[in-house]
Amino acid sequence: MKNGIGRAIGRREFLKASAAAGVAAFAMPAVKAFAAGGGVNFQTWSAAVDLVKSHAAAFEQATGLTVEYANSPWAQYRDAMVTKFVGAAPMDVMWVSDAWLPEWAEAGWISPIDEYESLMAYNSDAEAFCTDSMTYNGRQYGLTYYTDFMGFLYDADKLQEAGFSAPPSSWDEVVEQSLVMKEKGISDFPMMLAMAKESWLIEFMSAMVFSQGGRFTDDNGDSVMQDEKLGAQAALRWIVDAVNKHKIVSPGCVETGELSGLKAFASGNHAFALLPKYRLAMLNDPAQSQIAGRAKQALMPMGADGSHATVGWMRFHGMSAQAAADKARADNAAKLIEWFGGKSNGAYTFQKLLFLDIGAGFGVKPLFEDPAIREKYNSYADVEVIQQQQALARKKDVVTPWFGDWSETNGAAWQSAILGNISPADALRKSGEEWDELKSES
Amino acid sequence: MRSKPAGSSMAVSLRRHFNYEERTALLFIAPVMSVLGLVAVFPIAYSFYLSFFSIKLTRPNRTPFVWFDNYLDLFRDELFWTAVLRTVSFTLMSVTAITVLALLVALLLNETFRGRRLVSTVLLIPWAIPYVADALMWKWIYDSGYGALNGLLYQLDFIDKYMVWLGDQKKTLPLIANAFVWKEVPLATILLLVSLKSIPQDLYQAARVDGAPLMQRFFHITLPSMRTGFMLVIIYETMMAIRHFDLFFILTEGGPGTASHVLSWEIYVETFRNLSFGSGAAMSYLLALVTFALAYFIIRTLGRSV
Repeated sequence: MKNGIGRAIGRREFLKASAAAGVAAFAMPAVKAFAAGGGVNFQTWSAAVDLVKSHAAAFEQATGLTVEYANSPWAQYRDAMVTKFVGAAPMDVMWVSDAWLPEWAEAGWISPIDEYESLMAYNSDAEAFCTDSMTYNGRQYGLTYYTDFMGFLYDADKLQEAGFSAPPSSWDEVVEQSLVMKEKGISDFPMMLAMAKESWLIEFMSAMVFSQGGRFTDDNGDSVMQDEKLGAQAALRWIVDAVNKHKIVSPGCVETGELSGLKAFASGNHAFALLPKYRLAMLNDPAQSQIAGRAKQALMPMGADGSHATVGWMRFHGMSAQAAADKARADNAAKLIEWFGGKSNGAYTFQKLLFLDIGAGFGVKPLFEDPAIREKYNSYADVEVIQQQQALARKKDVVTPWFGDWSETNGAAWQSAILGNISPADALRKSGEEWDELKSES
Repeated sequence: MRSKPAGSSMAVSLRRHFNYEERTALLFIAPVMSVLGLVAVFPIAYSFYLSFFSIKLTRPNRTPFVWFDNYLDLFRDELFWTAVLRTVSFTLMSVTAITVLALLVALLLNETFRGRRLVSTVLLIPWAIPYVADALMWKWIYDSGYGALNGLLYQLDFIDKYMVWLGDQKKTLPLIANAFVWKEVPLATILLLVSLKSIPQDLYQAARVDGAPLMQRFFHITLPSMRTGFMLVIIYETMMAIRHFDLFFILTEGGPGTASHVLSWEIYVETFRNLSFGSGAAMSYLLALVTFALAYFIIRTLGRSV
C-alpha cells in the first residue's frame, strides 16, 4: 500500500503529466528545435511582439542559433508559466516580473545567471534598484527587460490657476496646495490616489511609504510596517487624513484602479496624481488626454522623515533551471539574454528600440545620454526630472514567496483604514502579524 | 482445468443481467459515459483527494498529506467566516429581490395588453448579455468619477455632488446584488410565467362566481399554484448567487476592505492567486456541500405539497 509520500509523488506526477499535455501543442516546435540542436526557447508575455521577433531574427542571423519564440497575455502569463514549469515544458529564457522572482527561485524553476561574467558586467550600467530587483538571496537571476517607477504627476495649469509657481515638494505642501484648489473650486478632489485592490496597489503603497522614510520590512525581511517610526504608519495616516479630514482625496479611491485613475486625471478632474511614469506619454497626447501639454512630473513629495524616494519595478530576462542544467543550452540561453538584456552589436539596441517604439522605461543609465532618447522623452516630459527620480527609486521590500498571500490581507487592511473601520496603527499591526505568520510558515 | 477468460465471464454476466435492448443501449451510452467519467467524475473525485494535501504549486517538492487540516483551518480562519457572512447576505438579498421582481413581471406579462411581445423581448436582453460584459457595464455605471448613475442623479437634482458607490462599503454588496438581479430576473420571470400559464382558468372562474376579490384570488389560487415555479427559481437562483464570481472579480475584487469578500472570491484567491490547490479544493467542497444542503432544504420545504 502506498504511504503518504507515495501518494504525493503520484499526484505530483499526475499534475506534471496534465500540465505537460496542456502545453504540448505549444511545446512541440521547441522540442523539434532541441532535437535538431542549437535552439533557444524564449517565452514572453504579449508585449512589443513584432520588435521581439525582429530582434530575435537578428540574433539568429548573428549567432546561427534558432529562437523558438512564444508569448501569452500578461494577465495569464504567471499562471501559464507556472503550469509550464510544473509540466516541465521546454523553456530556456523567459521574461520574469520582480514580484515572481522569489517564488520561482524557491521552486527551483529559474536559475541564477551570476556565473556568467559577460552578463554581470552590465550591472555597472544599471540602476541599483534594477539590479536589486533581479537579486534574490544574494544571487542575480537576470538582465533587464524593462523598468519603471511610480511618479508624482501634476497638472501645470491647475497649479498656476491656484497661484503656485512650483509643485509641492512635501506631502504637507500637497495638502496645503490641494486645500487652496478646493477653496477656489479648481478641483473637488485635487489629489488622485488609486487604492483599489489590484496588482498596482503595492506600488502605490510602496511609493508613499518610501517617500515618508518608512519601510514594510527590514533588511532581514522581518516586518517593520507596524513600527510607529520606521514603518508605514505615516504614509497610511496621510492617506486616511487626506480622505477623511482634508477631503482632498476622493473616498472613492478604494474603488479606483490605476486605469480608472489615469482616465480621471487625463480628463482634468485632478491636479495631482500618483501614476507610473510611462503614463506621461499618454497624458500629454492630445488624442488621448484633455490635459495634453499640461501633465508634468515632479519629484515624489517627501514626508517629515522621508526623502524624494519612490518605488521602482523591474521585468527581466531570466534563465530556466532546466536550461542551466545543461552547459551547452545554458550558454545559448546566456547569449540570448545578453542580446536582449545587454548589448547587441555593441549597443543597448533592444532597450532603446523598446523605449522608442512603445515608451517602455529602461534600467541602463547610459541610454539617458542617447540623443534620440532625450529628444523623445523631452517631447512629452522632462528627461532630467525622470533621470533624477529614477536614481531615487528603490525595489519593493515585500517581494517574497508569500507576497501573494500577504498582499490580500494587507490590501484589505489599508482599505479598511481608509474607510475608517480601523485605525492606521491597527491596520498595519494586522498586516504585520500576517506577514510574520506567513514568514514563519514558509 | 482451464479457467474461462475474464472477457467471456463478463459477457455472460452482462447477458444474465441485461436483455438485448438494454445491452444495446449500454453500448451506445458507453462512449458518452466514458467521456463524462474522464472530464467530470474523475476531476471531481480527484479534487476531493487533493483537498487532503497541502499543495502549493510554487512549492512543488513539499506536498504533505494533512488529513482534514485544510478543512479545519478554514473554520479557524476569521476571513472565511467573513466570506460566509457576505455570501449569505448577498444570496438572501439577491434571491429575495429576483423572486419578487420576477413574480411582478410575470404577472404583468400574463395579462393581455398592447406591446406585450415587445416588452417580453426587451426583458430578455439582460439575460442574453454575458456576465463579464454585464459587470463591465455596471462598473462604468457605478464609477464615482464619471459613472452614469452619478450623472443621471446629478442632472435630476437628486444629488448635489457625485457620490461614491462601490467604494462605500455599506452600499457595495447591495449594488453588486443589484447588478446580479438585473441579469437574473428575465430567466426567473420565464420560469414563473410558465407556472402562471399552467394554472387552470376554471379555478379563477369558480372563485369569481363565489365572489372572491382580486387579492383573495391572488393569495389563494395564484401563489399556491406557483409553488413549483417558486421552488425552481429559488433553488436555481440560490445556487447561482452562492457561487457567483464574475461581478465580484470585475467590480470590486473583494473590496473595499472585505466588503465584498464572498466565498467564491476567497476560493479564487486561494487557488489561482496563491496557487494553494489543497485548501482551495477544500473550500470548494465546503461550498458545494452547503449548496447541496440548501437545495435539499428548499426542496423539502417548498416541494412537500407539489
